[in-house]
Amino acid sequence: MRRISLWLLSTVAVLVLLFSYRTSTGASLTSETVAAAPATPAASGETYTGDTVQTQEGDVQVVITVENGKITAVSVPVHPSGSARHDEISARALPQLVEATLAAQSAGIDSVSGATYTSGGYRESLQSALDQAGLAG
Amino acid sequence: MTTTTAPAPVRTVRRAAPRWWGDAGGVAAGLSLLVVTALWVSNGGARELAAGGSGALTALGRLTGLWASDLLLLQVLLMARIPLVERAFGQDRLARWHRWTGFGSFGLMVTHIVTITLGYAAGRNAFAQLWDLVRTYPGMLLAAAGTALLLLVVVTSMRAARRRLRHESWHLLHLYAYLGVGLALPHQIWTGSEFTGSVWARAYWWTLYLAAAGAVLAYRIGLPLWRNRRHRLEVSRVVPEGPGLTSVYLTGRQLSALPVRAGQYFQWRFLDGPGWTRSHPFSLSATPQPDTLRITVKNQGDGSARIAALRPGTRVLIEGPYGKLTGEHYDGGPVVLLACGIGITPLLSLLGELPYRDGEATLVHRVRTEADLAFRAELEWFATRRGVRVVPLVGSRADHPAAALPQVVPGIAGAHVYLCGPRDWAAEVRVAAIAAGARPRRIHTELFEGP
Repeated sequence: MRRISLWLLSTVAVLVLLFSYRTSTGASLTSETVAAAPATPAASGETYTGDTVQTQEGDVQVVITVENGKITAVSVPVHPSGSARHDEISARALPQLVEATLAAQSAGIDSVSGATYTSGGYRESLQSALDQAGLAG
Repeated sequence: MTTTTAPAPVRTVRRAAPRWWGDAGGVAAGLSLLVVTALWVSNGGARELAAGGSGALTALGRLTGLWASDLLLLQVLLMARIPLVERAFGQDRLARWHRWTGFGSFGLMVTHIVTITLGYAAGRNAFAQLWDLVRTYPGMLLAAAGTALLLLVVVTSMRAARRRLRHESWHLLHLYAYLGVGLALPHQIWTGSEFTGSVWARAYWWTLYLAAAGAVLAYRIGLPLWRNRRHRLEVSRVVPEGPGLTSVYLTGRQLSALPVRAGQYFQWRFLDGPGWTRSHPFSLSATPQPDTLRITVKNQGDGSARIAALRPGTRVLIEGPYGKLTGEHYDGGPVVLLACGIGITPLLSLLGELPYRDGEATLVHRVRTEADLAFRAELEWFATRRGVRVVPLVGSRADHPAAALPQVVPGIAGAHVYLCGPRDWAAEVRVAAIAAGARPRRIHTELFEGP
């Protein structure tokens, strides 16, 4: 009986330790985002910086350049990175998202398959930039 | 002064479990696997798998992860002592399936971990990736701990380890499987692509988990607690039956409402002092009466010696009834009961309940020595009152090979056969009975681990 109580106690102690870790309550530690060089402002036009959006895979922030009411350039200074998988996803998905944004001129773009979180964060940040620019989106 | 004589309480015999219950259970289990597979396909799993590369590995990892946890939940349900499931399949079959799905789901889990890690690493250092996954993704540290616990359970359940562990130690370690299954849940909900995106998928998964947890709480803890409170069993008499053989008579409240049949067993705990926490499975050795139950225990040195020293009035806790060695499928006609050693106990209780006609029943009792032939007076009673033919076979198994069965019981081909004894003996006799023409559906067995 004493041995069982000892087991029970150590089990509970280990569980408490486990749950005190940050990821054990739903948080992610993958915010090692590279704050890359700030978006180089385009030759002309205004730049608007979107909110930094937290996603499962890391933070995403979009910067747009608007000229005559049209989005002329998009950069993504903050995106998930820091692991092989994140680098691979970002390298594949971001160009597609930027291209789609320039074509659609709004945040109404499809997610890139295999990069659902990054796409979602991208859209949200883009929308906030569009709001600042006073574009309908 | 008038006396009113209450009519003797009559025990109502439970109906047989319809055969379709088993089929329905199988279909439900298959459906649950199908649903998670569909979830995976609708999430682009099949497409990613076909596309090849590290994406295919990740997709495969997700699928194996889903299957592994679905099987884990099925495993929990198999052992949750759900009365419907117990009655449809019987515990020895459920335990066998539990073992298979256990090793199966563990294999899938290992595949899941390997393929997800390789897929995420995309050709780079897999160990660094694994560390990264465990350290940074939501719920992944918990999942790693859960994996370690399940690994512990699987290793201790392999035959080689199982033989070296005491049953109680093994059982205690096995309880960590619940914790392991629970710890694996958060990472599925928080990082599994199949669930983070869809409310319905999440709801389905939660339902499955809660149903499994609910079944365990209700049927492994709630129902036994309720039964024990209601019936309050206690020892009424302890009677020596022969060398190392003791019968215990039990009484309690409203025993006629306890849904037990002849041939079934309970897990017993006698509150007679330290060590009571360990439960022992014993079959009823007499047809359950409206106010009395009887078990008969052979001293096998593993705590069953204490039975002989039990005092009347000792409180008794039960889990059960369990077991499919009942007369629920008996529809009349000849009956052959084959017992080896102490395996005679459930057959004795069946002798009292089965509605066979005079001269239709044969009881074969194989024992090592003359002294092991217990219950002589009782068998004598069945022989004279109900025309039961009693055939004692004394000697080693070599003296009475299973192949001789048709000579011992000529009419076995057309009979309902009830078998109880050690595993290998029962398997041998079952084969011999089928060879002699008995229909497999009419052979009922309860296996127990021999001494």
